[in-house]
Amino acid sequence: MIVRRAVEGLDDRLDGSSFIARNLKKVFPDHWSFMLGELAMYSFVLLILTGTFLAFFYVASPDQMIYRGPYLPLQGRSVSLAYNSVLQLSFEVRAGLVMRQTHHWSALIFMAAIVAHMIRVFFTGAFRKPREMSWLMGVGLVTAGIGAGFTGYSLPDDLLSGVGLRIAYSIAQSIPFVGQWLANMFFGGEFPGDALLPRLLTLHIFVIPLVILAMMSTHLAVVWHQTHTQFKGPGRAEDTVTGTPVWPKFALKSVGLAFVTFATLTLMGGIFQINPVWFYGPYVSYTGPSPSQPDWYAGWLEGLLRLWPNWEFTIFGVTVGELFLPAIVVPGIMFTLLATWPFLEARFSKDHEWHNFAQKPREAPVRSALGAAAIGLMVVLFLAGSNDVLAKYLQIEVDTFNAVLKVLVFVLPVVVGFLTFMVCRDLRDRPRSPVERPGTMTVRRTEDGGFEEIHEPGTHDEVDAP
Amino acid sequence: MKRPDRWVAAAFVVSILSAVGLFVVYLQGGQTQLEGVFLFLTLGGIGAGLLLWAKRLMPQIVDETQSRHHGPVSDADKETSADTVMGGVDELKRRTFLSRLLIGAVGALGLAALFPIRSLGEAPGDTPFFTKWKKGSKLVDIEGNIVTRDTLTVDSFTTVFPEGSVGSADSQAVLVKVPPDMLQLPADRAAGAPDGLVCYSKVCTHAGCPLGLYLAQDHELRCPCHQSTFDVLNGAEPVYGPAPRPLPQLLIEIDDDGTLRAQGDFTEPVGPSFWNMTDHPEEGAPS
Amino acid sequence: MTRRSAEARLLSRVLRIGLLLAVGAQILWSFVPERGEAAAVNAAEGQTLFEASCSTCHGLNAEGTANGPSLQGAGPAATDFMLTTGRMPLAAPGDQPDRQAPQFSDAEIDAIVAYVAEIAPGGPAIPHVDTARGDLPTGAALFLNNCSGCHSAAGIGDSVGGGQIAPDLTPVTPTQLGEAIRIGPGLMPVFDTDNLSDQDVDSIGAYLEWIRDNGNDGGAPLGRVGAVAEGLVAFVFGLGFLILVLRLTGSKT
Repeated sequence: MIVRRAVEGLDDRLDGSSFIARNLKKVFPDHWSFMLGELAMYSFVLLILTGTFLAFFYVASPDQMIYRGPYLPLQGRSVSLAYNSVLQLSFEVRAGLVMRQTHHWSALIFMAAIVAHMIRVFFTGAFRKPREMSWLMGVGLVTAGIGAGFTGYSLPDDLLSGVGLRIAYSIAQSIPFVGQWLANMFFGGEFPGDALLPRLLTLHIFVIPLVILAMMSTHLAVVWHQTHTQFKGPGRAEDTVTGTPVWPKFALKSVGLAFVTFATLTLMGGIFQINPVWFYGPYVSYTGPSPSQPDWYAGWLEGLLRLWPNWEFTIFGVTVGELFLPAIVVPGIMFTLLATWPFLEARFSKDHEWHNFAQKPREAPVRSALGAAAIGLMVVLFLAGSNDVLAKYLQIEVDTFNAVLKVLVFVLPVVVGFLTFMVCRDLRDRPRSPVERPGTMTVRRTEDGGFEEIHEPGTHDEVDAP
Repeated sequence: MKRPDRWVAAAFVVSILSAVGLFVVYLQGGQTQLEGVFLFLTLGGIGAGLLLWAKRLMPQIVDETQSRHHGPVSDADKETSADTVMGGVDELKRRTFLSRLLIGAVGALGLAALFPIRSLGEAPGDTPFFTKWKKGSKLVDIEGNIVTRDTLTVDSFTTVFPEGSVGSADSQAVLVKVPPDMLQLPADRAAGAPDGLVCYSKVCTHAGCPLGLYLAQDHELRCPCHQSTFDVLNGAEPVYGPAPRPLPQLLIEIDDDGTLRAQGDFTEPVGPSFWNMTDHPEEGAPS
Repeated sequence: MTRRSAEARLLSRVLRIGLLLAVGAQILWSFVPERGEAAAVNAAEGQTLFEASCSTCHGLNAEGTANGPSLQGAGPAATDFMLTTGRMPLAAPGDQPDRQAPQFSDAEIDAIVAYVAEIAPGGPAIPHVDTARGDLPTGAALFLNNCSGCHSAAGIGDSVGGGQIAPDLTPVTPTQLGEAIRIGPGLMPVFDTDNLSDQDVDSIGAYLEWIRDNGNDGGAPLGRVGAVAEGLVAFVFGLGFLILVLRLTGSKT
C-alpha cells in the first residue's frame, strides 16, 4: 500500500509514468557473461560503503608519534599518524580489520571483474558501432581503477607501499624536461616530501571515486539507452532484443547477485589476511624488503620493469632515463591501442555498420587471435612481476627464470595468437555439428497376432554456420 | 497466498540468524574471522534467497522480445541535429572578431588555471644533485652510533648516514667490508675505500628502491624491487638487471681515532636518472 | 614377629631401595652431557664420523679438496649450524645445501663439532642465544633493517639470485639463528658482535619466535607472501566463485 502511494506520489509530481512503465518493462538479455560488469559495479558499491567507514578513522598525516597500541613488536617505535591510524583500525576498532580487509579484497575483485568484463566485450565484438563510447568509458574506468588502487594501498604509509611510491616518483622523474618538475609538484618536493599522504587521500576518496562514478553512470546510461547486445539465436534479430523484463525478475536477480557479491567479499575480508601492514612496519626510506610487489593489477607494469634491458641514452645533452620507455612509453602505447581499438578495427575491417549482435569469438578470428596474443603477453608480464616468488616456490634460479621469460614475452603471444586464429577459423568454417537423431525401430503387434517392425531412419541435418 | 518455497525461506532464515550472530560477536568485542563468516551468511542468505526466488518462483516470467527502438540514424536526421547545433555556432562565428577574443579569453583562463599547480611543490632546482654528505661528515648507523674501522668484519655490511641526518632518503648509503686485495677500483676512488671498507649510495639507480640485499660471497649488492645487481668490488657496476648506471661511491677516510668520515658528497647524483643529470652544477650544495 | 615390625621392615626396605635408586639416578643423570661440553669425551667418536661422512669433500685434515672448501677457521658455530640444519653432509658435491632433517643425532653432532674444533681451530664459537632476554620491538626493527631484504618482512624467505634462495626462517632454532648471523652461510653476509651484538641477536630471535605464533589476526596468512598470493586468491577464489554463481543464475544462450 505504501509502495503504491509512493509511486503515485512521485508520478504526480514528476509526470514520469510513461518513463517508469517503459523502463520497468525493458528486457535485458540474460547470458551469464553479461553479468561480469555488474560484479565490478557491486564491488565498487562495497568499496564505497567500507571505504566510508575506514575514512572515519584514517588520519592522512606523515607527522611522527610513538606507537603505544597493542601490537607488541612496534611498541615504542616512531610511526606516522597515518600508519598508527591503520594499526588502530586493524587491532583496536571493533570490526575495523574486517572492514579494512573487505575493502582491499573488494578492490582486487573490482579490477578482476573489470578485466573479465573487458575481455568478454572484446571477444564478442560488443564494442563495435554504436557502442564505442561505452568501450572508451570502460578503458577510462580500468585506468581510474588502477589509480584508485595505487593511491589506496599507499595510504597506510607502510614500508612496502612506500617503496612503490618511490618507484612512482622515479618513473615521473624519468620523463625528459618535465619529469623532475612533475615529480616534485605531485610529491610536494624531493622524495619523500611531506605533502603526499593528504594528496593521496584527496585523490583516493574524492577525485577518483567521482570520476569513476561519473564514468560508470554514463556507461550504464548509454548501455541502457542503446539496449544490450545479445548472441544470435532462434527468433532473434538485429533490431530486437530478447530477455527478461527488468521488473520484477531481472531486478530481483540483480539485487540477489549484489548481495552474493557482498557476501563473498566480506567472507574473504574475514578469513583471508590481506596486506598485513604490521609486518612491514612504518615506511622508512632506507629499508627494502623482498619480495616486493604491487597489487595484482599493477603486476604487468612490475614485470615490464623487471624484464626491460638497462638501456639509457643521452640525446643532445638530455638524459632519457631507463624507466621512461617501459614505464611511460610502452604503457602509453598499450592503453592508446586499447582505447582506440573499436576505431582501428572498424577501419581495418571496413565495417562501419551498426551491430547489435554479440559475436562468438570464432566469428572474428583475427580479432580473437590478437586479443589472445595480448592476453598471452600480459600473462608473461604478470609472471615476470612475480618472478622471485615463483622462483622460490618452483625451486629454480630466478635469473634463469628471467631469461626464459624474456624469450617467452615474444614467443608466447605469437604462438597463442597463431593457435587461436587457426582454431577460430576452423570452428567458423566448418559447419556446425550436424543435428543427429538415431534411427528408431518400433515393434507392433498385428491383428493376427504376429509382429511387424516399423523402421524410422535417423536424421542428419547440416546446420549452416552462423 | 502461495505455499512458501522452503529453500527461499531457509535462505532468509539463515540470514536472520547470522545477523543475530554478528550482533553477538560484535557485543563480545569482535573477532575478525567470525565477523567475516556471519557477514557472509547474512548477506549471502539474502542474496541466495532473492536468486532462488527469481529462479524457482517466477517460471511464468519467460523471455520476451522487444524492439530495440534505436537503430542507425538516417542521414537526414543526422543533418537536422547537426544543423541545429551549427545554427547556434554560426551565430557566434558571425561575430568574427568577438568570437576570436572569446577564444583568446578562454585560452588565457586555461593558462592562468595552470599556475596554482606551481604552488603544489618546490622547483627541483639543484636538489637532485646534492645530498646531506659533506667533507668530514662522520658515518653513523641507523641507530645513530658512530661507525669506526672496527665496526664491520669482512663480508659484513651496514646502512650509514651522515651524522645528524639519520634516515635521510637521498643520503642513505651502504658500507661494505671486503678483502682489500679484491677491490678493483680506479686509483682515485681506491683511496676513498680504505681497509677494504667501500661505501656506495643505497638508492638504486633504476627506480630508487633501497638496496636491501648483500650477496656476500659474490660481493654483489642487489635490489629487491627489480633485481638490479651491482658489483661491489668494481665500483658498483651494474652486472644484472635493469639498472643503467653504477651506484655513486661515497669516498671515505679513516681519521686518527678510527672514525670513518666522508671526503665529500657522492661522486655522482644518486638514484635514478633525470633529464639534465649531466649538467652537474658547481660544487657546494644549496643549504 | 610383631605385626608392626613386619610392616616397618617392609617400609624401611622400600625406603632404602628408593634412596639407592634416587642417588643412582642422580649420578647417572650427571653424566648426560650439556651440548658442547662433551668435547673431550666424544672427539674420538667425532673423528670416526668425520672421516666417514665429511672428509671426502673437506679433506682428512679439513684442509679442503676440489669438492669442498677448507674448514680451517670456520668455527664450531659453522659446523654445528650445517649439521643441525641438515645442510651437511651433501649427498653429492655441487648439490644445493638446503635445510632438511639432520643426518646425525645431537650427540653425534657434538662429537663432530668437537673433532673439527681440534683439527681446524679458531672461528666463531656456538653462540648462546636467549630469546627471553631479547626485546621484541628492537628485534622487529633490527630484523626489518638488516634481514628483510633477503628473508622478507615476515621471515618466509625469497629468491636472492646467485642460484640461492634465502630460506624461510620459521623452522630455525635460536641457536641456529645466532650461528647463521655470525658465520654468514652461503651468500648471507656476516654480522659480528660490533654490528649486531649478542643482545641484538637475542632480540631478533625473540621477534622471530613471536611472529611464528602471532600476527595472523586477519585470517589465513596465505604464506605471508604478499600481493602475489593475494592476487591469486582474488582471481581463483573470489572471481572464480562469483563466476560460478553467474553461470548458475544466468542463461547460456
